[in-house]
Amino acid sequence: MIVRPSRLEQLRQELFSSRLNGLISIALIAFLVTAALGLAKWALFQAQWAVIRANSTLFALGRYPLEQQWRLWLLTALLALATGLSWGLLRAILRSGPPVTLWPRNDRWALAVLVLLSLWLPMALRLSLAIQMRWWGITLLLLVVRWALGRWGSAIPATARRLIPLIWPLLYLLGMVLISGGLGLVQVAPSEWGGLLLTLLMSSFAILLCFPLGILLALGRRSALPLLRWGSVLYIEFIRGAPLITLLFLGQNILGFLLPGGMAPDRVWRAAWVLTFFAAAYVAEAVRSGLAALPAGQLEAARSLGLPMPQALIHVVLPQALRVALPATVGQFISLLQDTTLLSLIGLLDLLGTARTVMANPAFLGQSAEVYLVLAVLFWCCCAALGLGSRALEERLNPHSRSSANLSPSQA
Amino acid sequence: MTSSNAVMIEARGVEKWYPNGFHALRGVDLSVHQGEVVVIMGPSGSGKSTFLRTFNALEDFQQGSIVVDGIALNDDLRQIDAVRREVGMVFQQFNLFPHLSVLENLTLAPVLVRKLSKQAVQRRALELLDRVGIAEQAHKYPGQLSGGQQQRVAIARSLCMEPRIMLFDEPTSALDPEMVQEVLEVMQGLAQDGMTMVVVSHEVRFARKVAHRVVLMDAGVVVEVAPPEQFFSNPQHERSRQFLSQIS
Repeated sequence: MIVRPSRLEQLRQELFSSRLNGLISIALIAFLVTAALGLAKWALFQAQWAVIRANSTLFALGRYPLEQQWRLWLLTALLALATGLSWGLLRAILRSGPPVTLWPRNDRWALAVLVLLSLWLPMALRLSLAIQMRWWGITLLLLVVRWALGRWGSAIPATARRLIPLIWPLLYLLGMVLISGGLGLVQVAPSEWGGLLLTLLMSSFAILLCFPLGILLALGRRSALPLLRWGSVLYIEFIRGAPLITLLFLGQNILGFLLPGGMAPDRVWRAAWVLTFFAAAYVAEAVRSGLAALPAGQLEAARSLGLPMPQALIHVVLPQALRVALPATVGQFISLLQDTTLLSLIGLLDLLGTARTVMANPAFLGQSAEVYLVLAVLFWCCCAALGLGSRALEERLNPHSRSSANLSPSQA
Repeated sequence: MTSSNAVMIEARGVEKWYPNGFHALRGVDLSVHQGEVVVIMGPSGSGKSTFLRTFNALEDFQQGSIVVDGIALNDDLRQIDAVRREVGMVFQQFNLFPHLSVLENLTLAPVLVRKLSKQAVQRRALELLDRVGIAEQAHKYPGQLSGGQQQRVAIARSLCMEPRIMLFDEPTSALDPEMVQEVLEVMQGLAQDGMTMVVVSHEVRFARKVAHRVVLMDAGVVVEVAPPEQFFSNPQHERSRQFLSQIS
């Protein structure tokens, strides 16, 4: 009888299967342990984290006026609410068949990370007790909503359930109003936005708009109409042939000349549009690869059933092509997020721009390693979130996993 | 089948060049009457699939004329869409939509194109799936079915649009041998119900049993048109004899 080897035995086989393999394993383990110890020693005993503590608000919001910051707290709370709603509902629907645990394994991990972060981070930053309590409250709100929806979400009628994803675009618009003012709120000029707020705002704006634009360009590139096709090719190749930084400078300078006085958007918005147009060209190429991967028979079948071209694209071609293009597209979104650091070179105070002003302050001389490390971790978190989201979406769009999740009760 | 029935497809002197200059169809004529089953045979590269695909404008042609169900095929896109609503097509590779369930594959076009109510279309779709013998698979996805089942779904999907003509482009060529029969049986049932069918296929037994006429194409021209009993036992042309000796 064959016995399944223990975890330890498996490890031994993987790492020390031969003498050479064993030597390589030992050398690598030794190197990794030394590096980790060195980093831990530096982070715990040598690093001067005062630079982060003293400037945490600056890193988060830039020079956003203090008396208006309640608007951002409100927005954060609303985001937590929406996240809890969507998260709980997703679980409630996916687990509608047999009764399964309310908190599956991945969710328990997310729960643990959330709670630890909300307890530790505000404390580590030595925020005032009032502000610490706000963070606890927001986390609690998220978790309570997540719990309630996960518990009773499947009782919500399907018609109402279908409306819940709509809270995200609504929240985005509401967020724009809360951040920039209007509708009775005091205006806060874009030049006063900064730090993580500006970085997230710029990248989310560009991601949301470059995606549909990229799809249109990719379709244009494969169009039978020569003018459309050559226009798309010209656009894509021009944008891909120029470094983003030159386009950003061009955008700052040329838009001002091209448009009559006052018409040109604010500097921040000019940069946002340049980012959008830049990313759209790359997204178009990712989508084109998805379109090329689709067998020609799919479009032929749709057309021979009498579907006009637009409907064939919307219902047959794009759902399949976009699923293939998703990993490459998300890769593009991740580069876009990181490309926002170039905004600091045209004088905007995004995360990197804020960090540079902080490091230029003589009081924090020689503490740039701490600042860069925090920036790296922040960017890593954002990119990891995008990557995780994309993988979850890929999983859901996979026809096979979907078919098992969507089995109606009569089939299950 | 008599020739007094209405003409459903009338192709006259159809010439087609591919963009690379290949002369695929060299003046092909064919009339198909209502309720008639025509099987087109021929060696690979003879233009038989290309010819079939001109009937619903999946392929264009440069000279000649094709009239389908009274509608002349030309560059007018509305004409083409009108023809495609009346003509069903079954492909060698099934071409089911893998991201939609079997039932959604059937209901997509009738709901979008014919603007019928979803409930009515679903009822008809389930009836059709029952007719092709796979009603119990309605909520599965195409990837979970066998090749024979997929091809039967593809036939049901075309029928759901209630076409007046069905085109089959080598419907059993991509199937494992043991699944060919189940698809041919569905096609035979369809023929018995009086559907007008044009079938590109090498299934001799099917052609003998179901076809009213067999067409042999070679090098872009129609070599011989004859009733199956005559075509298979006493072909008139040397090229037909040669072809039949190769496939038997």
